[in-house]
Amino acid sequence: MNRPANRHYSEEEILMHILGEEDSKEGAILAAHLGECQECRLVLLEYQRVLEDIRCLRVDEIPAVAWLEQKERLMAFVRNESRTSFRDIRVRLGGVFVQTWNYAIAHPLPALGYIALALALASQSTISIFRLDHVLPTTGDVIQVLKLLL
Amino acid sequence: MDSMKSDEDLVDDILAGAENGFSQLHDRYRRLVYSIAFRILQNSEEAYDASQEIFIRAYRSLDSFDRRKSRFYSWMCRLAVNQAIDCWRARRRRAEAQTPEDSNGRFLGVPALSDAIRSPHGELESKEKVQEIWRCVDALPELQKKVFVLRYFQELKLEEIAEMENCSLGTVKTSLYRATQTIRRVVKRGGDQS
Repeated sequence: MNRPANRHYSEEEILMHILGEEDSKEGAILAAHLGECQECRLVLLEYQRVLEDIRCLRVDEIPAVAWLEQKERLMAFVRNESRTSFRDIRVRLGGVFVQTWNYAIAHPLPALGYIALALALASQSTISIFRLDHVLPTTGDVIQVLKLLL
Repeated sequence: MDSMKSDEDLVDDILAGAENGFSQLHDRYRRLVYSIAFRILQNSEEAYDASQEIFIRAYRSLDSFDRRKSRFYSWMCRLAVNQAIDCWRARRRRAEAQTPEDSNGRFLGVPALSDAIRSPHGELESKEKVQEIWRCVDALPELQKKVFVLRYFQELKLEEIAEMENCSLGTVKTSLYRATQTIRRVVKRGGDQS
């Protein structure tokens, strides 16, 4: 920081110094300046007093019973919310996915078998539900292959 | 050992469906949330109601909390200060609608104050002076008020507040300085009068 030694610090800089909101190098230079400059020291003392006054502003207390009542209301809200929320559904689906994934990692062959089975069932259901064998002539071959597989 | 769990772990528990975690968060944060709301609204009943709203808002937005970006403490402070400011704005609008002749920016409500006012330096002796300071805080612009409450009472670093408010550190520093200067004028005026 290049500043002339005889220049006073701004009130903002002095306030930041009291709060420890400047870097340590800057702080050390300012502290040295305060040791020599009475004018800046007076500003510092005045702001220190203001901060003490501010910190004397107190908060009205709330009785413990009122907090308990609030907690009960909040917990009722949470229970109600978690029963209906999309987040809960998402969390549950996420849990199922993680479990399935872990199983697939631990048992790759049976997992592949299940996947093939699921695909086959899904294909067959799709073909029969939407009557694709009637629409697309080649789907008959797929059905034959699926029948062989199953 | 649930009571030893970090706030972040409790959040994970709640997101996984453990409702009890939220009860613990309420125990840990009710004072913080209430004190922020009180310092902005300056009324215990309104601050109490606002704190309930803050917890509801927190629960609904828990999945947006990212532990890599901020501490849960500062996330909660941010939520509390924003909700309290919303309530303060709503109150101000109501008050202005009720008394349009008094809409020149004057403070319209009377803050609820503690009977016991500590006075370590014998300077903050009168209730009037405390009320005057509260009025000043109430009249501060929004950003100054937020920074004032978060820095002086919740002890958040200015860098953290700047990140929270999505503005530069310089802006936050200037806001805090201006807010403090406003209070300083009141304290000084009171001192000169006595």
